[in-house]
Amino acid sequence: MKWLTVLTAIIIILTFSSIFAQEKPTGREIFDRSIDATRLAGVEATSTMTIIDSKGRERVRKIAQVTKLYDNGDTEKKLVRFLAPADVKGTGLLTYDYLKKDDDMWLYMPALRKTRRIISSEKAKNFMGSEFSYADMTPPNADDFDFKVLGEKNVNGTDCWQLEIIPKNDDIADENGFSKRISFIGKDDYVIRKAIYYDLDGSLYKELNVNKIVLLDPKNKKYRLMDLIMVNKQNDRKSILKVDEIKFNPDVKDGYFTTRYLERE
Amino acid sequence: MKTMADYIIKFRWFIIIGFIAVAGVFGYQIRYAKIDADMKDQLPADMISRINTDKIDELFGGTEMLMIIIRTDDVLNSGTLKRVKELSRAANRIKGVDKVLSLFDLKSIKSEQGAMIVDPAVDRIPKTDEQRENLRRELMDNDIVYGSVVSKDFTITAVIAVIKDDVSDAYIIPQIEKLVADHPGSEETVIGGLPYIRGNVSRNIQNDLQHLMPIGLIIMLIFLFICFKQLRGVLLPFFVVVMSVLFSMGLIPVLGWRIQIITVILPVFLIAVANDYGIHMIARYQEDNTPGNTYTKKELAKRMFRTLSKPVLITGLTTMAGMLCLLGHALVPAEQLGILAACGIIFALAASLFFIPAVTSLIRKPRPVLSRPEDPDHRQRLMERLLWFFGRLVSNRPGTITIVALILSLIAAIGIFRVVVDTDPKRYFSEDDPVVYATDLIDQNLGGSQNISIVIEGDIKDPRLMKKIDSLERQIGRMDMVGNTTSIARVVRQMSRALNDTDDVGYDRIPDTRNAVAQYFELYSMSGDPEDFEKLVDFPYEHALITARMNTTSTTRLNHFVDTIRTMVANDPNVLLIGGIGVVLSDLARLVVSGQLLSLTLAMIIVAILLMILFRSVIAGLISAIPLTLSIIVLFGLMGIFGIELNVATALLSSIMIGVGIDYTIHFLWRYREERRHGLDYEEAVIKTLTTSGRGIIFNAFSVIVGFVALLFSGFLPVKFFGFLVVVSIFSCLVGALVLIPSLCLIFKPRFLEPK
Repeated sequence: MKWLTVLTAIIIILTFSSIFAQEKPTGREIFDRSIDATRLAGVEATSTMTIIDSKGRERVRKIAQVTKLYDNGDTEKKLVRFLAPADVKGTGLLTYDYLKKDDDMWLYMPALRKTRRIISSEKAKNFMGSEFSYADMTPPNADDFDFKVLGEKNVNGTDCWQLEIIPKNDDIADENGFSKRISFIGKDDYVIRKAIYYDLDGSLYKELNVNKIVLLDPKNKKYRLMDLIMVNKQNDRKSILKVDEIKFNPDVKDGYFTTRYLERE
Repeated sequence: MKTMADYIIKFRWFIIIGFIAVAGVFGYQIRYAKIDADMKDQLPADMISRINTDKIDELFGGTEMLMIIIRTDDVLNSGTLKRVKELSRAANRIKGVDKVLSLFDLKSIKSEQGAMIVDPAVDRIPKTDEQRENLRRELMDNDIVYGSVVSKDFTITAVIAVIKDDVSDAYIIPQIEKLVADHPGSEETVIGGLPYIRGNVSRNIQNDLQHLMPIGLIIMLIFLFICFKQLRGVLLPFFVVVMSVLFSMGLIPVLGWRIQIITVILPVFLIAVANDYGIHMIARYQEDNTPGNTYTKKELAKRMFRTLSKPVLITGLTTMAGMLCLLGHALVPAEQLGILAACGIIFALAASLFFIPAVTSLIRKPRPVLSRPEDPDHRQRLMERLLWFFGRLVSNRPGTITIVALILSLIAAIGIFRVVVDTDPKRYFSEDDPVVYATDLIDQNLGGSQNISIVIEGDIKDPRLMKKIDSLERQIGRMDMVGNTTSIARVVRQMSRALNDTDDVGYDRIPDTRNAVAQYFELYSMSGDPEDFEKLVDFPYEHALITARMNTTSTTRLNHFVDTIRTMVANDPNVLLIGGIGVVLSDLARLVVSGQLLSLTLAMIIVAILLMILFRSVIAGLISAIPLTLSIIVLFGLMGIFGIELNVATALLSSIMIGVGIDYTIHFLWRYREERRHGLDYEEAVIKTLTTSGRGIIFNAFSVIVGFVALLFSGFLPVKFFGFLVVVSIFSCLVGALVLIPSLCLIFKPRFLEPK
């Protein structure tokens, strides 16, 4: 029986060591899990976007936002409504964000009482005139990139994977507006803490810092980024996106995500 | 009593080492000299349009562009489009390129089937003829690209690299050149844009500095050898010139200045003029050292100083005065050239008076080269015959000569009305230069290379102000020399076309409420780069920019245009300022003219006063001003007749001409008075003066003319023309001194030239 004990011990050790081996995920896995970690079933929130130019002048926008996942998480529908400043109050943006194809977008302008569909293939464009691009705000198609785990690093007290993300070809780089991105993703929660962008000529471009996260859906371990700052290292502009109020609500009314609702002020 | 000449001999070692040391120390500084080809830096720092242009850069950011221009039968063929795409992509990946504007980078924002569509202007390279024609139609409707990155006939397209503020021309230009070389194609490809013009100016300055100096020095060496046929006669004035060039060029970095286009005139000017004093000294030295003389080498040196110190000093002073009158030019490099040249002249003057005698007192007494006047000498007799002819001509018909001179000047004067002022940087290059070709392509097909910008101040979101911007932009856009205009109002209209269908009321117009304008802005900021937006309106929406690009670089038309715009907005409380390179160039032209008039008048007055003091007579100043005035008339007349523009370089001519050209008159009058005092009658005195001093005067003038010939080898047209004109005008001063001044002396018999 002694050999059996030894054998069992060996099997147990092998099993555990293989578990330990599996503990180190691939770059692609880290990336996929980081996208998944912030995909909440439904959210209602109000946020403040502050855009600061190189001379320190500020432009402040307050927005209300509802999002909900459809098609098993493959589609995220989002309604954004401007609350302030007064001259753009009521302006609304409805987005159907598809993981694998170009998004659908509708814009409503209260001054014109008119909804317009917007068709755009460009992701490098800036979101609301801020330093955040659409590519930063919506999950990219993971198949477009190559991933490499560069190591581990502690970012503000959180142990993170240091992940290098490189567009697979020049077309994708042009579309996303960067040639390389280094992301720092929490080892435990897979939530992004920091990202550094390099522009098409390879120079340091932007730096994203996530200052606060909350666990909004404890059951499914889903998080929400509450306080983000993006600094453009080339022109010294920065943009801060802060969530003021947030509520997890998987049962957001489907009626919100229609152009008919978009037109209601 | 010991004289100055004795002290020169006593302290000769000190003098020699001192001069060499000063020249050496300053010459060493030349390595720190930097080249500055920026047009703007030629302008005085307090000039309104320069301040305004800097203010615009501060409010809206700079927009330096390098343009790769591609020309072929149809730029929409797939091969060319593929090349454009590769060029644009590679340009995006060059460090220092802020962004790229091309068919593949600029957007198409359009309305289609109730939707607003945002795409790159060329999304896909067309494969079939049908796709190509569809694309052509689409591009013709896209006023972001049509007529700006693609010509209206589709034969020309541009890939424009917007350069970051902190990038040097010297770094980025070779990058763009390499980019073009790395992506060859069958299409004709040239590079253009202001940084490229500047870079070429800079290269030409370096070339000029490397070539003009040696050419000038070699020409001068040959000339000196022909004159003196003796090694020391060649080497001593040559050495003085080299020292004065080192000294004055070394002053540039010492004073914290930079080498600019017209600075290339400085070394050539010194080569031509700084040797004059040395030439007189050596001529005297050889005259004294005729066969059979008994002077020691020290005595020869002292004689040279004693006899010549006064006239050499006076001619040096008048030349300096002429150069210092360049301070009347508000143009920075003209002022600097004036000061540097004056310093170089002082140095050369001092070196000729002290250094040359000090050296000759040390070295062995040479064998005589000159024969005594009574010995036959072929060259001398030829010259003498010519001078005799002048002498007889003048003494027989002074009245006729004066009238002929006046008539000739009047005929030349007709040309003055045809003199054109031109400050276009393109004109620095000859017609067949690629820089000119590229600029012409941009002007005629891609909207224009120069611009005028108007800054509007107020609540930019206010629809009333927005409509004003819109109508102002359209009004300017309709003017026939305007190629292309941009403004925030145009963007708002573009948004209105994307958001409304053609039959909607809001289509292609500025909306009526402030909120609607704000919402259009919000939409644009979502579909474009926020920095693009801020080239049109500043961050707090308090200032907006209207920019008009011009399809002409002619300064006359530019002036007219700037005046029209200024009148148009004169009483508009919302117009804060007008600036841009077009206004700067237009003001530069005005400065050239006013600086020209001021420095000319100043030089005339100062030179006349110097002559009045020298001869203690008011009439002396007035008489000597007559040939100068006629020479100036001839100078400007010839410019008009030959179509040579008045520009930054040629505007310097008259001051130089007055400063240098007056010397011959001084030499003549000085000697004539001496001969009258020796008891010769009027005609005899004229003939005697012409046959003795006349030779020196001719040598002197020819040394200047020969020296300036080097400028004909310059890479810059204005500098070349400058060389040509200086040759012509020095010649006319020479003729004035040898023919007109003697005639005037015979007609008026002025008292200041009479024996006491």
